[in-house]
Amino acid sequence: MIIDMYAAGIAAVFGLLGIGLYGLMTLRNLIKVILSLQIIGKAAVLAVVVAGSISGEIAVAQSMAASVIVADTLVAVIGLALAVQMQRCHGSLDLRTLSMKFHTPPEAENGG
Amino acid sequence: MNAAAWLISLPLASSPLIYLVGRLPLESRRAARWQIAWALSLAVLAGMWAVFAAAARDLAALPAAPAAVPALTVEVGALSLRINGLSLFTAALVLGISTLTVIFSGVGVLGKGGAEKYFAMILATSGAMIGMACAADLFNLWLWFEAMMIASLMLVAFAYDRPAALDAAIKYLVQNVVGSLLALMGIALVLGSAGSLRLDAVLDEAASPALLAAGALFILGFGVKCALVPLHTWLPDVYTHAPIGTAALFSGAITVSGLIAMLRALAPLGGAAEVWGSLLLGFGGLNIVAGNLLALRQKELRRLLAYSSISHIGFMLLALGVALYSHETAAAQAGLFHLINHSVMKALAFLTIGGGLYSLGMDADRPMPFRHLRGLGRSSPLAALALTLAILSLAGLPPLAGFISKWQVFEAGMASGSQAAGALTLFAALNTLLSLAYYLPVVMLLFADAPADRIAMRRPLPRLMQIPLLLLLALILLFGILPDLARLLTDPASTALLGGFGGMDTLTNLNLNGGSLWQIFY
Repeated sequence: MIIDMYAAGIAAVFGLLGIGLYGLMTLRNLIKVILSLQIIGKAAVLAVVVAGSISGEIAVAQSMAASVIVADTLVAVIGLALAVQMQRCHGSLDLRTLSMKFHTPPEAENGG
Repeated sequence: MNAAAWLISLPLASSPLIYLVGRLPLESRRAARWQIAWALSLAVLAGMWAVFAAAARDLAALPAAPAAVPALTVEVGALSLRINGLSLFTAALVLGISTLTVIFSGVGVLGKGGAEKYFAMILATSGAMIGMACAADLFNLWLWFEAMMIASLMLVAFAYDRPAALDAAIKYLVQNVVGSLLALMGIALVLGSAGSLRLDAVLDEAASPALLAAGALFILGFGVKCALVPLHTWLPDVYTHAPIGTAALFSGAITVSGLIAMLRALAPLGGAAEVWGSLLLGFGGLNIVAGNLLALRQKELRRLLAYSSISHIGFMLLALGVALYSHETAAAQAGLFHLINHSVMKALAFLTIGGGLYSLGMDADRPMPFRHLRGLGRSSPLAALALTLAILSLAGLPPLAGFISKWQVFEAGMASGSQAAGALTLFAALNTLLSLAYYLPVVMLLFADAPADRIAMRRPLPRLMQIPLLLLLALILLFGILPDLARLLTDPASTALLGGFGGMDTLTNLNLNGGSLWQIFY
């Protein structure tokens, strides 16, 4: 029974990772991209917890998971701050149009 | 608590302080608020240099133990740090580049306000990088790495009101977060299959599938930061659109610290060192050729330097791959020497671009199209000389630093005894010729004619900008003529690096000549 729990945990890690990577590849809205990053982050936290329970180092794994959650939240905060700024100075959250705007030849910038 | 712990706690503790000082309503007639923050960060950096010297002295005074890497151990609560030769190497690199960048930024090259944030983040990034090099277990390594990523992201996103800079910051954020999460999954694999995350003990069954997968995840994950070729796409944008000091810091320290993190994380998997060595060799070849080919088409200097960074990281990977493959400290020493030289040359090139743009009266945080280079040799000879020497050294012309370290890298590759590594080295040497095709036109442009009225408009470089340029120039010449000076740092670092992979007593040390120019030609 306990083996099945590990297998389920590992399957969930791969599932979350797959969802996150798929989202990163297909979505172009910055907020959705950040959501995908968060899903991959959850996969990593789950991987840490599963690994800790397999090797019996559950205390280590729990403290690691708590730290990862903090780091992950920081990343989300900064990403969302960038999203606010992008909406403000670009008027859209679509990453494709941001890259397009930026495809002006370098000569056009720093003109003079 | 060991004094060496201040190397990390000093910058991290003073970073918010500097920010607060920069925001305080202290009005003074003689100095703007950001200048007070600037002076304070310089003082902190000076303090860090003092601590660095003390740590280096303590490490040298340790009694020699034949089978272990000499290291100072620091325990602060639950946090444990181990300071060895590689940590000191990283600390010297990071401190040097950030000190020069901060000095350079003292003339107010940042286009808009908020310089106090900039200085605070430079210190936080430096502290996190040094912490990364001192971490004693895999998870602490990852935490420092993540802290460095977040702090450096703020540096990239500094000009957050320009779409191009935002685009660079978002690319950097997304790619590096995915990379570090993949590395974290690798750490979970190590924890699950070995139950230990210590960096100073080599795991027994390093060739088990789980640990091989963990190593592959480390290479992928940390490889995003050090721009292994399919994962490099964030780098040119960051180098082109971040503030110029950030670009110098990135090319000099942050990017290569990804490489150091990767090597440190691979150390517990040292049982499969040959696998990691061959993988790094493969990526090295790919980086060299892709970086060179992409650089050929560039019309903008900062982007060109970014692609040339990618190819130089290939040279480092080549040497370090040989080192892991054949357990050869001379190869690791060559790779680390090239790492230092690359940092010096790139920091010089980027700071000079900042100076050149400043003397043109332009925003120093913007790209540098080739046409602005015209006539720089006439209007500001120091900037032109610095840029010329930096570029010639990047191309690997004697007697500059870039030549001697490339020579050592090639020599290490040829001496490895493996045919594949030898062929790859030959290929890398041919690529050096290819790189002249994009370096030389830049140098020609510097000394081309420009309309006299545009030359007359230019401002001279202020003293504060000249100091870092002159220091870096001196280093390029010094390392080119007396390369053995760098061994003070690279010898302990390469022993610590390879000793971490286990088998401290089986390390071989080929005596590469390449010690200095005249030895080569004899």
